[in-house]
Amino acid sequence: MEETIGGVFASGREKIPPGKPMSMEQKMLDKGAQMMQSLKPVKQMNQHVCTFALYSQDMARQIETHHYVTRLNQDFLQCAVYDSDDSTAHLIGVEYIVSDSIFEKLPPEEQRLWHSHAYEIKSGLWVNPRVPEMALKPELENLAKSYGKFWCTWQTDRGDRLPLGPPSLMMSPQAVNLGMVDPVLVLQRDEKYNVSTEALKTSRMELAEPEWINPQADYWRQHYKCFAVDVVPTEMKKITPFP
Amino acid sequence: MASSDKSAGPMPPGDGSVPPGKAMTVGQSIVDKGAQMMQSLKPIQRMKLHACTFASYSHDMNRQIEAHHFITRLNQDFLQSAVYDSDDSSGRLIGVEYIISDRLFEALPSEEQKLWHSHAHEIQSGLWVNPRMPEMMQKSELGELAKTYGKFWCTWQVDRGDRLPLGAPALMVSPQAEKMGKAKPELVHKRDQKYKISLLMI
Repeated sequence: MEETIGGVFASGREKIPPGKPMSMEQKMLDKGAQMMQSLKPVKQMNQHVCTFALYSQDMARQIETHHYVTRLNQDFLQCAVYDSDDSTAHLIGVEYIVSDSIFEKLPPEEQRLWHSHAYEIKSGLWVNPRVPEMALKPELENLAKSYGKFWCTWQTDRGDRLPLGPPSLMMSPQAVNLGMVDPVLVLQRDEKYNVSTEALKTSRMELAEPEWINPQADYWRQHYKCFAVDVVPTEMKKITPFP
Repeated sequence: MASSDKSAGPMPPGDGSVPPGKAMTVGQSIVDKGAQMMQSLKPIQRMKLHACTFASYSHDMNRQIEAHHFITRLNQDFLQSAVYDSDDSSGRLIGVEYIISDRLFEALPSEEQKLWHSHAHEIQSGLWVNPRMPEMMQKSELGELAKTYGKFWCTWQVDRGDRLPLGAPALMVSPQAEKMGKAKPELVHKRDQKYKISLLMI
């Protein structure tokens, strides 16, 4: 039957997720809601970034990601992450980005869940489509020193038609074998946006390198180990009864 | 190691702001505004519906939060929402929830179903509201939503005072009719006052 979700590895990229197209009524409700409701947090998402990420438990699996970014203050960004930039894009996770000064204050066990951004930015992999490079330069220098924590909650790249299983911790591209992004993926992205990652890399050579990158980040580089999330049954905490 | 439950360690010191950090520079605001004008933000433009409801941590149902969903309907059977801890412009993105029809839910393997929660009680008891939308508009939609199931990962435990997103994601569950699942009256009251709602029964 066409609609079986079946096991984890469903085939085909069509109909992700399964389901009939929206009804007229639903569309009208959406429009109505949009007019009447105040959607302030959504309006704060005003930057689109296209970059790449790798599954920490299987770094051969690499994805093109679309971050819709809100800057909360100088040191912190929060991103809703999608698998494409069109209107049918799937919300596949959340990434948080912090400045190096904030990152240094985190306990080491926490730092190990984060990844650095220096290489991703300097190599031209991180792109703000349609925004002139000149306008971005000061921002890019800051971002090159930042660290990210990215949970992927829907593995559309492996064909999951629905979000299955626990979240995956994602890693950033790095300048070593395991961390390099497949050139085919990069080419595809470059063609779509009419950009050249190589050219951006050249133009970004003048961006300052961060003075150091905390070795707790990109944990896999030093330890050849990664973190995977497992869902385990656990005793529920007792509740204080209502008076 | 990192668990949804235990806090990873001491908080970064400072003025207690969540998250910590200095206010945006003018330069950064300009980049933001510029980007917004030049870029196409299609997935975001499809986030059209705001819902305010409640959820609990599955490993500690004493901890309940008010959750603000900004929802995209992808088709008749599927919604995806970015979840925030408030509906103002400084709202923190605290997680993601997916909502599917009963039809899709029934087709999931049972191991997967265990990660999902039902919505019937939440909707029928009026805990789920769409602020500023007239009753009439909500009614038919709510009838459909009452039959759905949700999967909600919380990636930032602001309610326990985390100034930054720490640890592993936490699986959330929905309010239910029995003791342990009941939404805390004081939380509900606070929300209702803010939006001038009286608890609707449908």
